[in-house]
Amino acid sequence: MNSIATESLAVAYEDNLVVSDLDLAIPQGKITAIIGPNGCGKSTVLKAVGRILKPKSGMVYLNGNDIQNLSTKEVAQKMAVLPQSPHAPAGLTVGELVAYGRFPHQRGFGRLTPDDRKVVAWALEVTRLSELETIAVDNLSGGQRQRVWIAMALAQQTDLILLDEPTTYLDLAYQLEVLELLYRLNREQGCTIAMVLHDLNLAARFADYMIAIQGGDIICHGSPEEVMTADVLQKTFQIDAQIARDPRTGKPACLSYDLIKPHYEKSGGK
Amino acid sequence: MTAWRQKNESYKRKTALRNTAVIIGYTALLILSLLVSMNTGYTRLSPLDTLRTLFGGGNDKEKLILFDFRLPRIVVSMLAGAGLALSGCIIQGVSKNALADPGLLGINAGAGLMVLLYVLFFGAQSFLSIFTLPFLAFFGAGTAAVIIYALAVKKGQGAAPMRLILTGVAVQAGISALTTVLIIKLDDDQYDFVVAWSAGSIWGSNWKFVLALLPWLLLLLPYVLTKARVLDVLNLGDETARGLGASVEKEQRKLLAVSVALAASSVAVSGSISFVGLIAPHLACRLVGPRHSILLPACALTGAVIVSAADTVARVIVQPSEIPTGIMVAVLGAPYFLYLLAKSRR
Repeated sequence: MNSIATESLAVAYEDNLVVSDLDLAIPQGKITAIIGPNGCGKSTVLKAVGRILKPKSGMVYLNGNDIQNLSTKEVAQKMAVLPQSPHAPAGLTVGELVAYGRFPHQRGFGRLTPDDRKVVAWALEVTRLSELETIAVDNLSGGQRQRVWIAMALAQQTDLILLDEPTTYLDLAYQLEVLELLYRLNREQGCTIAMVLHDLNLAARFADYMIAIQGGDIICHGSPEEVMTADVLQKTFQIDAQIARDPRTGKPACLSYDLIKPHYEKSGGK
Repeated sequence: MTAWRQKNESYKRKTALRNTAVIIGYTALLILSLLVSMNTGYTRLSPLDTLRTLFGGGNDKEKLILFDFRLPRIVVSMLAGAGLALSGCIIQGVSKNALADPGLLGINAGAGLMVLLYVLFFGAQSFLSIFTLPFLAFFGAGTAAVIIYALAVKKGQGAAPMRLILTGVAVQAGISALTTVLIIKLDDDQYDFVVAWSAGSIWGSNWKFVLALLPWLLLLLPYVLTKARVLDVLNLGDETARGLGASVEKEQRKLLAVSVALAASSVAVSGSISFVGLIAPHLACRLVGPRHSILLPACALTGAVIVSAADTVARVIVQPSEIPTGIMVAVLGAPYFLYLLAKSRR
């Protein structure tokens, strides 16, 4: 089981400091949802944790080792990272794209070994894509496409998967489909999953652990019951939220909300 | 066995069959192009004469024409076509831009400037050795490419495709301006040579030129093939590639250097031929799909066929004179490219 944590992490785009001093731990074997308003640094944190972005200072620890000291290939054998809305080359089939997930395990010319093929077949099966193996990725629906990318991450055979807004641009049913897949991977395969999510109610419904970020700082972290409170949401999103319990799932849900004060006053008249 | 399993299996068989057919088809085309090309030219040799000469018969004149003039030229055109096509395929993969070609990285312009300087200092006739020219071209092309890459790269993010293209256009314009200024200083002989070179006339028509180009290809082609997986992954975008464990910036730099070397050595002996690096990858991709393990070989063959066929046409279309091959490639290639653009607009 692989663990990941940060210590006084600072990340900047050029000279623009987005995150300044962040200590964060992703609990093992659980689903973690990172929530926060636009531009709060939640995707930035995920990218830094996934070594897509190099931190300005501070540490990211993978199993207690500084991630900067590990080769990117070693990291890829332990942790899969999916960026927001990735793009597949035209004409590539589902099976071919999922096979790219074997990249960190291959060497040289990189023909797929029988073991590689087994893993790819397994990844396709778990994501219920076996039937679509020979269809071009660009001919799939948004939800199917997202499942293909998740299958590629699975083919990496890591028990740690980071996802940046895996439900963006998907309609309600597809969002649920993707999150239920991730839930199944967590419960059945024991994958640790950390993702940035926009939809608070879906986050509360599927996550075991939530992290609310605002202005590059953690406002609150803990179980959905601890994070989905009027107080935390006010601090994080500047909203006055009414929290109720979802009668179907028993999880906290944001029933309705109002702005506490107009956004333009806060952000300096934009 | 369920229906979809059978469907998938038959699709995979068909794909494998298609890829083999494409490679065999191209090889056949290449041989055909070789045969036709050997028969055509200012002095006509009948197919029978050609074959007889090829297998040891024929008179001295026939031998001279075939072995000393035609064959080396055909081989140079094929090798240069393959090199330029591979170079284009790599650049398109690395920049994730389907419109990228070696010219974009300032390779033609940089190599051209070096050829010009060489001619300026040593004269058009006094080539010390053809073997130095690929190195000079590589130096010029490499310098241009490094400048473009350095200007395009953003700290910690690699070279953004759009920035690569824009800086490429700018640097190329600068080099072309410099080239034009220098051309004024040339005498007639030198001027003729430089103009012919930049029109892509395959001017190196003896075995030395083949020897000057072949080692580069023999060395770089296997290396590029080992990088097929990396190119596949780079095609998914920088972030996804890094997530999969590719050292994106390091691989980009290595692949761009190889691409520059392939194009520069080709261009040094063949003259500035554009469009092959742009069109061959497109054509090959339509035939065999985007996976580089099959795309790269298919692409090299496509380039070889395009340039050798264009060279044959260029030599016969306005006899007794000839059109520079580079122009012929553009004449054939531009309409196809416009067709591609019109199609993708739908």
